[in-house]
Amino acid sequence: MGKYILKRLGYMVIVFGVVSLLMYSLYNLIPTDPARAQLEPMKSTLKPAEYEQMYQELRSQMGLDAPLLVRYARWMGIVKDVDGTYSGLLQGEFGYSSFFKKDVVQVIVEPMKNTIFINIFSTILALAITIPLGIYCAVHKKSKFDSAVQVVTILGYSIPTYIIALIFIFFFCVVWQIFPIMGTKTAGMVYENGWQEFTDKLYHIALPVIVMTFGSLGGMTRYVRAAMIDSLGMDYIRTARAKGVKERIVIYSHAWRNALLPVITSIIGWFLSIFSGSVVIENTFSLNGMGKLYWQGLNNFDFELVLAIQMFYTVVSLIGMLIMDLSYGLVDPRVRVDK
Amino acid sequence: MKKKVLALVLSAAMAMSLAACGNSAATTPETTPATEAASTEAATEEVATETATEEVAETPVEGGSLIYGSSTELSGDWGREMWTNNAADKLVRELMDDYGTVVSNQGGEYVVNPTIVKEMDSVVNEDGTKTFTITINEGLVYNNGEAITAKDYVVQTLFGCTQTAQDWGATYASSYLSVVGGQEYKDGTAAAVSGLRLIDDYTFSVQILADKIPYYYDITYAAATPMNLNYWFGEGIDVADDGEGCYFVGDINTDEVKANVEAALWATSDRVTAGPYNLEEFDKSSLQATLVRNPNYAGNFEGQKPYIEKLIIVKAETETWNDAMKTGAMEFYDTIADGSEINAALDLVDTGDFDYVQFDRAGYGKLQFQCDFGPTQFESVRHAVAYLLDRNEFANQFCQGWGSTVDGPYGTGLWQYKEAEEWLADNLNTYAYSVDSAVEALEADGWTLDAEGNEWAGEGLRYKEVTEEEAGTYEGNVTLADGRILMPLSINWASSEGNPVSDLLSVMLAESEEVKSVGMEIIKSEMTFSELLNYMYRDASQGEQYGVPTYGMYNLATGFVPAYDYAYNWTSDPELVAQGYNVNYLFSEELDNLSMDMVYGVESGDTEGYMEIWKEYIKQWNEELPEVPLYSNIYISLIPKKLHGYTQDSFWDFQSAILYAWVEE
Repeated sequence: MGKYILKRLGYMVIVFGVVSLLMYSLYNLIPTDPARAQLEPMKSTLKPAEYEQMYQELRSQMGLDAPLLVRYARWMGIVKDVDGTYSGLLQGEFGYSSFFKKDVVQVIVEPMKNTIFINIFSTILALAITIPLGIYCAVHKKSKFDSAVQVVTILGYSIPTYIIALIFIFFFCVVWQIFPIMGTKTAGMVYENGWQEFTDKLYHIALPVIVMTFGSLGGMTRYVRAAMIDSLGMDYIRTARAKGVKERIVIYSHAWRNALLPVITSIIGWFLSIFSGSVVIENTFSLNGMGKLYWQGLNNFDFELVLAIQMFYTVVSLIGMLIMDLSYGLVDPRVRVDK
Repeated sequence: MKKKVLALVLSAAMAMSLAACGNSAATTPETTPATEAASTEAATEEVATETATEEVAETPVEGGSLIYGSSTELSGDWGREMWTNNAADKLVRELMDDYGTVVSNQGGEYVVNPTIVKEMDSVVNEDGTKTFTITINEGLVYNNGEAITAKDYVVQTLFGCTQTAQDWGATYASSYLSVVGGQEYKDGTAAAVSGLRLIDDYTFSVQILADKIPYYYDITYAAATPMNLNYWFGEGIDVADDGEGCYFVGDINTDEVKANVEAALWATSDRVTAGPYNLEEFDKSSLQATLVRNPNYAGNFEGQKPYIEKLIIVKAETETWNDAMKTGAMEFYDTIADGSEINAALDLVDTGDFDYVQFDRAGYGKLQFQCDFGPTQFESVRHAVAYLLDRNEFANQFCQGWGSTVDGPYGTGLWQYKEAEEWLADNLNTYAYSVDSAVEALEADGWTLDAEGNEWAGEGLRYKEVTEEEAGTYEGNVTLADGRILMPLSINWASSEGNPVSDLLSVMLAESEEVKSVGMEIIKSEMTFSELLNYMYRDASQGEQYGVPTYGMYNLATGFVPAYDYAYNWTSDPELVAQGYNVNYLFSEELDNLSMDMVYGVESGDTEGYMEIWKEYIKQWNEELPEVPLYSNIYISLIPKKLHGYTQDSFWDFQSAILYAWVEE
């Protein structure tokens, strides 16, 4: 097992290296001049010679005149940066956001906290609803309730999240005025303590969480239902029932355990997705999260920020895949890696 | 065992989520009081009438709050202008930082700020330099009560004369380019900035380089705002003048000072500022800023102090701003430009809970030509394009009734336009929509042939016989057996992707029957905006293909600032052109001379002389037509009924106008 994990970790380093080089090269292929973009608004206030002087200084400061591979090596921290120090990914320096004008790590902290905060609730809530619902529908296959759930889930699955969000906003915020419409804080409120801040935040994220949950009900419910139906049709289930095993044990111990293998891929995938934000939800509800930040980074050609986010997701995905593979063994001894 | 652990984790997850659901409902605080939508139209009209009556006799009241919705997100970067800010950050910064010696007034004119300046003298020295000597009023203080002296007013200029400022990302710190001795201090060859002097506690002077003078807007060189030394640079840093000019006492290029400057840039509270409002809180998580009145504020250039106690700046989203206004989550939505959004806003006004202010955009959307190759090098073709587009209809459709057209490089919000409105109406060609005029312009210039060199028969593309120099390497040129070179009336148009202006232009111009009927062809190519800029600047460093003149027409937009300075925009100096000046590639001596004379040939204060040249410049531009102005938006800001005394204009934005407004619940 240890050897297997070490081998996988080695692969992960290689994959990370290749992905980072590819991503860096791709972004640098985009024909844009960051120095020109930064100075452009000032151009009309400068005389040409002044503009040229400032432009050249800025290019040299940004290290734009070096070849691509040198810039990549600087970004990775393999060679010295223009200021003569090693300051790249390997040194824990994730770059500098040209749009936000501060280190990428500082830019990411708050959106990441918000995204994780929202996604944890949404993921847990969705799993708490979909797994029992999927199991119930599978057990009561073709009942009226099952048919109704199939209709509702296919609707939730088919309607785009932004439509769901706008419908929910209209009813919950405008008509019934139960939830606030946007943000994560009541305007102008000065918190007296942390608990007040937490509850206010919880109140504000309630509707986005409901929308995200509603949007994700369809897929998982149907997935669990299908896996359970397959499992319940197996011979060992018939045998267990023939032996007089209690129905609850047949469902939760025999059938659910065997249905878990295909479902676990999605479940772990969901937990890993707590780091990634939703552009649609965050923009609609004016939430300061990772999806919105990523979108902003792309729109503003803030490539060091975008690259840092992508590299982070690359690492999360690689670790996630390792966990997924290991968890298969945990659930099903037949695929356990012992060597 | 492991399976049980996994099952336990899943069960715990379910339980937690249920608990969380219950919790969120139980701890819900009260929402901001929401405005109730009017239930019937009759009720709406009644409310509207009542409000109109109430507006007759009003006296300002202090206090209250206003929730301002910004279409740009706050980032918390309140650094001075030398660091630059996005629109929302700039708004907050300008609410916190005032006390400029020179400010722009309601009409966008630069004026000396009497609240700050006790006396300002200027003298042109024998060596051609110009010195502004400024005495500030005594008794001015920062928001923390600390006195403001002349030293505070030289800090920013002095910092702008250091390499450190550039190294720390203050890209726009450029005072070293205009102040005598600034470049030397920056290069380290001088110990002080000789042109920046501290005369006494309340007097300082700044000497401007000779090559900057005369300049119509030279008063802007006397513009300075106070910068608190301790707050920005920390203990141990001072500014002194031993008779040779100002210099920093202590090394500012250290990690400690850098850390202090960065902390000052991003500080979310306890900022030392001198403006109408103090930053009470910036919530990094929700990106929401709360500002409260600064009791130590002496007033703006008219002595005006704010009435509203608290301003809250939140992010407005395109999808939900309307609902946010209805529910009270947002009370003020600034500068709505889109026609459909304006109409939605007016529906809210009809409910009686809101009002609006309307103002013209200081800029316009345009078709920009490159005038040194292909068909667009000929004035006649540029004229023909203008005649073939019904600009009034275009503006009407694109802005949905909330737009207008202009006939030259100006916005209707400019003071220059207001002064010369009648003259412009009498002297400019409006290029009113007319296919006949387009044909007339083309035929008069020789666009009368077909691809074989025969008389154009009314079908296909028109051609014109051109010289070898005019032909260049333009694709589609035809060389006949007799050696004549014919150029097709085919224009390559570069458009940014996902641009609604381009979509409408395609329908109303490029693909229109009128364009085809006159023998013209406009070929649209969509690309990213950065790629469009590469083509426009002919920036071969980004790829060889960009260095080749390819597109003769671009659709872009432009905005005007109070200093109307277009010098160098028509230069023919190849080096300057390569740097991106003169992106129209129109090498017009007349335009070049007029644009230079307008600002560099007129002494400051000579408004009459300036206006004469301005009008000539506009007329010349209108004749040569390097661009076709398409539409100039009419903006509206949606404001709550409780807000009174609020006015807004192109150069009189929220942060200026809100000082005069008050709320009455």
